[in-house]
Amino acid sequence: MYETNLNERKSFFDYPLLLAVLGLIGIGIAFIYSASFANESVRELPLFKQLYVKQMVWYSIGFGMAVVLCIFDYRTLARWSLVGYWISILLLIAVMLFGTERFGAKRWILMGPFQLQPSEFAKIAFILMMANFLSRPKEELRRGKIFFTALGMIALPFVLILKEPDLGSALVFFPVGLLMMFVAGVPLSYLFKFVGGGGVLVALILVEVLFVPIDSKFQLIRLENYQRHRLLTYFGKDLAPPNATPAERKQAQILQKNKSYNVDQALISVGSGGLTGKGWREGTQYSLGFLPRAVAHNDFIFSVIAEEKGFVGSVMVLTLYTIVLFSGIKIASQARDRLGKILAVGVVALLFSHIFINIGMNIRLMPVTGIPLPLLSYGGSSVLCSLIAIGILQNVHMYRRAY
Amino acid sequence: MLIFDQLKREDRKLRAISLGVLLGFGILLIGLWWVQIVSAKRYEENLKNQQFRSVRVPALRGKILDRHGESLAENRPRFDVNLYLEDLRSQFTYEYTNHVVPEYVRQHPELMQPVKQSAIKRFFSFATETFGAEPKPQPKARARLPLAVRTELEAEARYRVVSNITAQITTRLQNPAILDTTLFSRHYYQKRYIPLPILQNLTPKQVAIFAEQFTGLNGVEMEIQPTRTYPNETSAAHLLGYIQRNDQPNTDEEIDYKYYLPDYVGITGVEASFDDALRGQAGVKSLLVNNIGYRQREEMLSVTEPGRNLVLTIDLKIQQAAESALAAAMPNVRGAVVVMDVRNGDVLAVVSAPAFDPNVFPAGVSSAEWKILNNEKYSHMFNRATYGAYPPGSILKILTAIACFENNIMSPSEMFHDPGYYQDQRVLGRRRIESLAPAGDYDFKRAFLKSSNTYFIHFGLKAGLKKLVEVGERFHLGESTGVLPGEEVAGAYPDSNNLSGWYAGDTANLCIGQGKVTLTPMQAAAMTAAIANGGKLFWPRIIRELLPPEAIDSDLKSFQPGSLRADTRLNPRHLQIIHQAMLADVEDKDGTGAAARVEGFRVGGKTGTAEGTKEQTTWFTSFGPMEKPRYAVVVMVQAGVSGGGTCAPVAGKIYKAILKLEQTRSASPNTLAELN
Repeated sequence: MYETNLNERKSFFDYPLLLAVLGLIGIGIAFIYSASFANESVRELPLFKQLYVKQMVWYSIGFGMAVVLCIFDYRTLARWSLVGYWISILLLIAVMLFGTERFGAKRWILMGPFQLQPSEFAKIAFILMMANFLSRPKEELRRGKIFFTALGMIALPFVLILKEPDLGSALVFFPVGLLMMFVAGVPLSYLFKFVGGGGVLVALILVEVLFVPIDSKFQLIRLENYQRHRLLTYFGKDLAPPNATPAERKQAQILQKNKSYNVDQALISVGSGGLTGKGWREGTQYSLGFLPRAVAHNDFIFSVIAEEKGFVGSVMVLTLYTIVLFSGIKIASQARDRLGKILAVGVVALLFSHIFINIGMNIRLMPVTGIPLPLLSYGGSSVLCSLIAIGILQNVHMYRRAY
Repeated sequence: MLIFDQLKREDRKLRAISLGVLLGFGILLIGLWWVQIVSAKRYEENLKNQQFRSVRVPALRGKILDRHGESLAENRPRFDVNLYLEDLRSQFTYEYTNHVVPEYVRQHPELMQPVKQSAIKRFFSFATETFGAEPKPQPKARARLPLAVRTELEAEARYRVVSNITAQITTRLQNPAILDTTLFSRHYYQKRYIPLPILQNLTPKQVAIFAEQFTGLNGVEMEIQPTRTYPNETSAAHLLGYIQRNDQPNTDEEIDYKYYLPDYVGITGVEASFDDALRGQAGVKSLLVNNIGYRQREEMLSVTEPGRNLVLTIDLKIQQAAESALAAAMPNVRGAVVVMDVRNGDVLAVVSAPAFDPNVFPAGVSSAEWKILNNEKYSHMFNRATYGAYPPGSILKILTAIACFENNIMSPSEMFHDPGYYQDQRVLGRRRIESLAPAGDYDFKRAFLKSSNTYFIHFGLKAGLKKLVEVGERFHLGESTGVLPGEEVAGAYPDSNNLSGWYAGDTANLCIGQGKVTLTPMQAAAMTAAIANGGKLFWPRIIRELLPPEAIDSDLKSFQPGSLRADTRLNPRHLQIIHQAMLADVEDKDGTGAAARVEGFRVGGKTGTAEGTKEQTTWFTSFGPMEKPRYAVVVMVQAGVSGGGTCAPVAGKIYKAILKLEQTRSASPNTLAELN
């Protein structure tokens, strides 16, 4: 016992976590290369404009940030979390005012050559803030005021991100926040009541979207039209109202086909990969443009991997993620204080939600949302935040209990 | 182990989270297993459906050759100019962004919208505006076009690029053509993975201009397409038949093709009878297409198997000689010639006039042309040699003579008085048949060469209907010759088992080849060949072989030479008499067939002139040389003057040509083998 503890003391980094992350980074580079090189116009770009090179730059910056993060004790970081949280809220407001619109959503702020996605950073800031807030003595957590303040901390970024609109990213705050509260020791009865209430609300929304005609006076909740369509598509319902004319119905069918196009193509990619896949850079779905090139390297990178490496590749990616998440849980269990534990659980919850939603979306288990796959999807904001989150885990590991 | 360690931790909450993570990943794993292992086949099918287009590639059609290897039908390279749309995509984009959209925006200035600015700039302009400063003019403006407009403009850009290239090429090739808008858009939306044809069938001069000026031009290719060609034009047209473009090939082929390259199918003649063998096996090309349907790459899934070459028994030289001889018989001649090798039934020439040019059909004939070709009187498409049955007239007297000799009711030297007509109340009622021969006393030879009707009716009636029909049936009259299935008629001949409704007058007509009896020229040739060779009735053979040889399923008899159909069991003595009479018909100075006489080639023949309801049919059937018969020549002309006047000279010219041909061929030993 003593010796193992000594050994643990020696390990500066959590090596399984580090190796798994490096493995995922390697896979990310390889398949962004594969996905973007199929595109002729991309292939002719100079090296520094190539997506995989840019992604490598992001990986390096993210890695650097994670290392810098580890210099400061997480307790020091937590002390500044309030500042971070409000900066992120300001950025979210800035998105609403000056954001660039793409595909009908304002999620990005143009910063010279880069496009910043504040919602990603808000998630990290939120985890730090929440952990700091919940690390108070357990007795205080029983107070309703504290619980509602915590809920308010979830609700603020949730509403702002929902307005972008980005329902997926907004919803992620709930499992993350609730799990952190659960681990911190907020009474289960509170959590159950809240989750129960939320469940009823979601059920109501679904019933209304699926079964109540759009022009009915019983319309209680106003969802954005595209959100309604996504839900209808996900549940395989007809987009056209029951009293639609044939022309409208046809229109709705075309719309439905367009709506489900990405998922249909992602499913074909994943499914046609079979057991062992077609081989690296041999995938045809994205190289022929069936899987849209705009999404193949980011939201749907998993279907590229699954097409080229098959079930074997999918299992490998899942295995690496499992190592990352369980390292995170182990770090939580070894954290020197409650702050560290809650922080680690928050990061695990965040990563898990992203992985589950993104891979689930590729195989139509989950509706389509713009949630990136941590460490694999192309995109600076996502990569930076994922690596910062890993950095936080390593930080908690480094300053863990010394027994 | 990392995972199980976590599950064993004392911290129940972390254990619950571990379980939750495992559960979540378990769900993902099952989902992936379902999609990638269980349903993999289905998704692979989907993938193929959207990424591959199978294109049927027709095989090279087999040649048709005459017995000496002369080409009757072959494939000639045709030069086409095609446009590969996938190579023009950057030009489409260029045209769209630099010409079409700016023009459109100039006409619709309301579509201009401010350009996107970076957040910092926007923040500053927001701030300055808030504090009352004048808003700065927008630096640049961009149009935002609705999707429908964009689609329309893209189509416009594509059309402009393609029609410019088309105009440029066609003008330079001195054959200006304008690209049809609807045709182009249909091609673009339905089959953009195959090239767009611009110009077809380039002349050699155009090929040279193209090669010099356009080689290497992006997206434009000159390609070679085989086209069917009949080098001898109308020669043997009816026998060869013609082919037509077939846009809906057999539905029983297994693959569900997305597109067919033009294939041709034989409609008549040997092109139709041997279509399967000539057509070969089509190949399958698989095109990989991208999401907007452009071709990415292609591969042959199964290669084409070229069609087999068909060698006919026809001798092109004799065929051409027969054609020109028949054409010279009279203006606008309608008739047929069959030349047969009497030793084995090989058809050496088969002519039907007027003929058509099979070269015009692959490209398609207009309905006006089709109307002319099927004119009721001339019916160019109609094969008179096998598909037309005509009253044989006096040429049937050969069989009447055989019947009489066999029944011993007529001796060659017996004299018979012909008053110039035949009249018998019991046989013909009040009708009277003119004799055609002048009144006088006739023995057999003279009656034969003068073609006395009275003589043959008199003795024929004596021989009796039963005997007459029996002799005709030995020659299989009234039955198909099997020369080309579906391409001939059986003619009409009384059936010995069913003679009800047959009157004595009909029998009188039968004796002289009139009335209820018709023959095709092919049947007449087979009959004459049997007379010439001592009584062996052959199946006429028109197909010598298929190259490369291979067992084929066909309704036709096997292609063996000299396939004996029946022995007509003729008495050599009777034949001797008939041969002498036929020789006399040509060689005697007052024989009806004197015009068929050839110096150095003794021909025996029989003329015929059959009355019809509308017009008379004239015949001359013959064989030669008399010493050792090799050729039978049957000439039939509709509305001729007489058998001797119209048809016999045609046969004479054919024999002259054959004689000349034999002399030149025996001079060159290479072709000697082909002569027997």
